[in-house]
Amino acid sequence: MANLLWLQGGACSGNTMSFLNAEEPSACDLVTDFGINVLWHPSLGMELGENLQRMMRGLVSGEIPLDIFVFEGTVVNAPNGTGEWNRFAGRPMKEWVRELANVAAFTVAVGDCATWGGIPATAPNPSESVGLQFLKRGHGGFLGKDYKSKAGLPVINIPGCPAHPDWITQIVVAVATGRGGDLSLDDFGRPKTFFTSFTQTGCTRNMHFAYKVSATEYGQRKGCLFYDLGCRGPMTHSPCNRILWNRQSSKTRAGMPCMGCTEPEFPFYDLAPGTVFKTQTVMGVPKDMPTGVDKTGYVKLTAAAKAASPRWAEEDIFVV
Amino acid sequence: MSGYPLVRNPLASESKRDARDMESRRKESRDMSAKGKDERLLQTIAEMMANGLQTQTEPFPETEKEFGAILAELRQLPPDDLNSKLVISGFVDHPYGPEQQRCLECMYYLVHRKWCDLPELSVPVEPHWWCRLWRI
Repeated sequence: MANLLWLQGGACSGNTMSFLNAEEPSACDLVTDFGINVLWHPSLGMELGENLQRMMRGLVSGEIPLDIFVFEGTVVNAPNGTGEWNRFAGRPMKEWVRELANVAAFTVAVGDCATWGGIPATAPNPSESVGLQFLKRGHGGFLGKDYKSKAGLPVINIPGCPAHPDWITQIVVAVATGRGGDLSLDDFGRPKTFFTSFTQTGCTRNMHFAYKVSATEYGQRKGCLFYDLGCRGPMTHSPCNRILWNRQSSKTRAGMPCMGCTEPEFPFYDLAPGTVFKTQTVMGVPKDMPTGVDKTGYVKLTAAAKAASPRWAEEDIFVV
Repeated sequence: MSGYPLVRNPLASESKRDARDMESRRKESRDMSAKGKDERLLQTIAEMMANGLQTQTEPFPETEKEFGAILAELRQLPPDDLNSKLVISGFVDHPYGPEQQRCLECMYYLVHRKWCDLPELSVPVEPHWWCRLWRI
């Protein structure tokens, strides 16, 4: 039996909604099949008031073992570093986070806000928000660069806005069933099993990407969304086209551009008007290239791909 | 008991096949007519440029912002104002600039259809032409 505590800081509850929709395994499976004891969760927890405070104190003191500490949302430091804008169970949430992270066997950050600050930490960041171990791409998170949970791992970061439900439950199950030591994390604390390939990996538009045929409107079944509509699939690490959403589809499959929400810089360009869903260019060349491709190579590839492009690439091949 | 007959009426499936053939012939005819229309429009644009149409090739939109401003200008035009469309977008009938850019490499260009797929333009083009909405 593994004790799991889920707390929420500066958050919209999007990751909770995602978690509750998990299918493989589902949130119920965690309890019935994998022996996870959900001590408390903002949408599921039964305890309130003094009972909750007593349980929290028991966790901090070690009286109740804390195997998995899941945090959703940013750590709020406002105003002036006090954290008073986000109080929980009688004190600033950030104080609970510090003490719980110190006793937890594993600490898991779920969603962009908890991993690197996400939208709340975007300038001017009035809530003085940070992620658990990162602030955007830097180690400026609340727990500090050197933090390790009792099991010896840094914060396990499961980014996304929201994170895919199955990424959350599969990592929780791995940890709860004693396979936490097998987790291999990248430089940003993301499990490599999910965040090594790109959003583009498995995208149904890869043929259009290869032959440089562009989609010019949302929902078009023909064409790649990278060239004109700001899709970040070729430079975003996520399995969105390998582990499908609702087991059915993905943004790019449905004709909407990837916004790169699993990367520390999200939201890109601070959501300035005209930068979302529009490929940013400098003198006609994309500002952000597919990962590992330079401008010269890109230009050469484009010329060759256009020249080799077959007729069918210009047509809608997904005939209903 | 279902209302469907146990044996299919061969005449019924034949008439379905006829209907499908007819629809396919109609589509073919529509495609041919559209192709003819595109070819005529391509010829018209080629003649306009050969006759010395002066278009606004500069400034090249440095970023997305300037690019968007040109698109906004194009959206204001009446749909049949071909002349202004070509002028504002800076059409020329030859490669352009030090890098000799061409429609052929532009991401809006459909190679087989010889077509500019940018919704604000949507015109037939030759691969060696260029306009300042060129993007790669």
